[in-house]
Amino acid sequence: MRRLCLLVAASVAALGQAAHQLDLDSFEKVWTTVRDKHWQVRPGGLDWQAIHDEYRPRLEKASSHDEARAVMQEMIGRLKQSHFAIIPAPVYSVLDEDGEGPGVTGIDARVLDGQAVVTAVDPGSAAEKQGVLPGWQIERASGREMKPIIDQALSNPAIHELQLTRAVLARLSGSIGGTVDVAFLDGSGKAVVLRLDLAPPRGALSAFGNLPAQHVWFEDKRIGSTSYVRFNLFLDLPHVMASFQKTVQNCKPCDGLIIDLRGNPGGIGGMAMGMAGFLVDKPNQRLGTMFLRDSTLNFVVNPRAEVLSAPVAVLVDGCSASTSEIFAGGLKDLGRARIFGTRTAAAALPSAFERLPNGDGFQYALANYISEGGQPLEGLGVTPDVTVELTRAALLTGHDPVIEAALDWIRRQAKP
Amino acid sequence: MNRRVLILLLMSSAAGFAADPLPSAESILDRYVQVTGGRQAYEKRKTEIAHGTLEYTSLGIKGTITRYAAEPDKYYATLDIEGLGKVEMGVNGPVAWENSALLGPRVKTGVERAEAIREGNMNSTVNWRKLYPKVENAGIESIDGEDCYKVVMTPTEGQPMVGYYQKKSGLQVKMTTVASTQMGDIPVELIASDYKSFGGILEPAKVTQKSGPQEFTITLESVEVNPAIPPERFALPAEVRKVADKAEGK
Repeated sequence: MRRLCLLVAASVAALGQAAHQLDLDSFEKVWTTVRDKHWQVRPGGLDWQAIHDEYRPRLEKASSHDEARAVMQEMIGRLKQSHFAIIPAPVYSVLDEDGEGPGVTGIDARVLDGQAVVTAVDPGSAAEKQGVLPGWQIERASGREMKPIIDQALSNPAIHELQLTRAVLARLSGSIGGTVDVAFLDGSGKAVVLRLDLAPPRGALSAFGNLPAQHVWFEDKRIGSTSYVRFNLFLDLPHVMASFQKTVQNCKPCDGLIIDLRGNPGGIGGMAMGMAGFLVDKPNQRLGTMFLRDSTLNFVVNPRAEVLSAPVAVLVDGCSASTSEIFAGGLKDLGRARIFGTRTAAAALPSAFERLPNGDGFQYALANYISEGGQPLEGLGVTPDVTVELTRAALLTGHDPVIEAALDWIRRQAKP
Repeated sequence: MNRRVLILLLMSSAAGFAADPLPSAESILDRYVQVTGGRQAYEKRKTEIAHGTLEYTSLGIKGTITRYAAEPDKYYATLDIEGLGKVEMGVNGPVAWENSALLGPRVKTGVERAEAIREGNMNSTVNWRKLYPKVENAGIESIDGEDCYKVVMTPTEGQPMVGYYQKKSGLQVKMTTVASTQMGDIPVELIASDYKSFGGILEPAKVTQKSGPQEFTITLESVEVNPAIPPERFALPAEVRKVADKAEGK
């Protein structure tokens, strides 16, 4: 028995040593990544080698994984820059979990007041056919409760709405042709359980280089005398740009234009500049500036031959990221658009997430972007001129308070 | 090969193998003209249409490129890039322009215009004296194990270009500069390789360009020599004309 105990003790010690080595490897990965990929040669103005020499001995003395993580978090905290974070493995696992496949139910959702809520249902989708309505609360999908996932993510300040929304939507996806069982609370608070068919996402499949092909859709319509446009990604450039140009041309005459970027996570950064050219008539304007390690890129605007002069409202939320933020933030700073909704994702840059050897996640930003008004978008996002929250109650009564606020403002701009 | 050329070659060779002093920048640039076909071959070329491909390897984006050029200063290129659509650019005398599906039409100004006009000079290789009033040999650097002369060419307007010419072959294998673009000044490095004869002139069939975080390779596939190119090919497109007129208040 004594021999067995010794064997077990030795194994535990070996496991502990292996885990400690994984923490050390993770530390080196974090430190090296910042050294090699940060947009400043001296990251955060610091002597990064000295930072290594200061923190490495502390990490070597760390007696637990939590302690090691705290040391790494403190080290990158010295940068005093957003989008550098160590995300604990359990939280990272929840967020990193992909859907089972590309099939979707046609439901768009957001976390409102700590609950997953249907915000839109695609026309013709399985969800619409089975009567799912905006405002319904999603309790469970594929046998997994939503609330614990949401609570776990909300407990970590490094997790943003965009990531959380993706995690929620991943639970509503699966193989095309398959089904997913979803438990809802409808508008009257009654439990509804539906088996929803999974179909290809809305839109046309568009490929761009090594990026996975994605479905891109573009819609425009008239709401009274106001033009309204919405598209899910800044991709499929030839189609989306031509459609946007057509929308602008058709907005003559119109009271104004609403560009709805809620849920739009971005895409090709240059498209923000190209689209702004249809809205900004003054030459030599820019949306902002991106700072990379060896160059500085101005996001310039080339006014088109024909430019829309009517008021422009841009709608955003916590899932509006990257190119959406560059576009909205730049137009706001140029005084060309009024922004409605909630603060954007604060992810204007290609900030990357990587799994560390010890299982934790590591987030880091690759560049800095300063909007024309002088504010960095990374970490701060675009703050709307008019903050309007989407609520479950409004959705259940068929209202979109964000669109309504924009329409109201546009009507008030109309010349008598 | 005439006597003058022979003397030039002898001078170049002698310069190439001498330990000291360094050959003049002028002789290195003239030698490049010579080893790539000679002044006469360049001067015989009045028009050309070059066809090639473009690839952003790390991004997995490919495209095609066609470049039309005519003596002395006309240039039109069209790029068709997967996922980004068409990009056109051109130079016609003092006017340099660009039109892309991404950013729309525009007329280039300032240093960017000056750089485009230099690129639009069809025989810029032989016309270096007109384009770069100051050239100097800045020494020898090894590139891929080969000694190269580092020649700094300074234009009247814009940043200097630094060409690296192999001591042994006289061929340019690398060029660096800081390009003036609408988005800002961007460090550029070009690596030229796989020299082949296209209609009697040696040209690098492969050029890899590193600009900031981007890297792409242009592969030259064929060159039509002295084809008939209608003058309209180089005319300002209607969309560009519209924005140019608007900018001029017309």
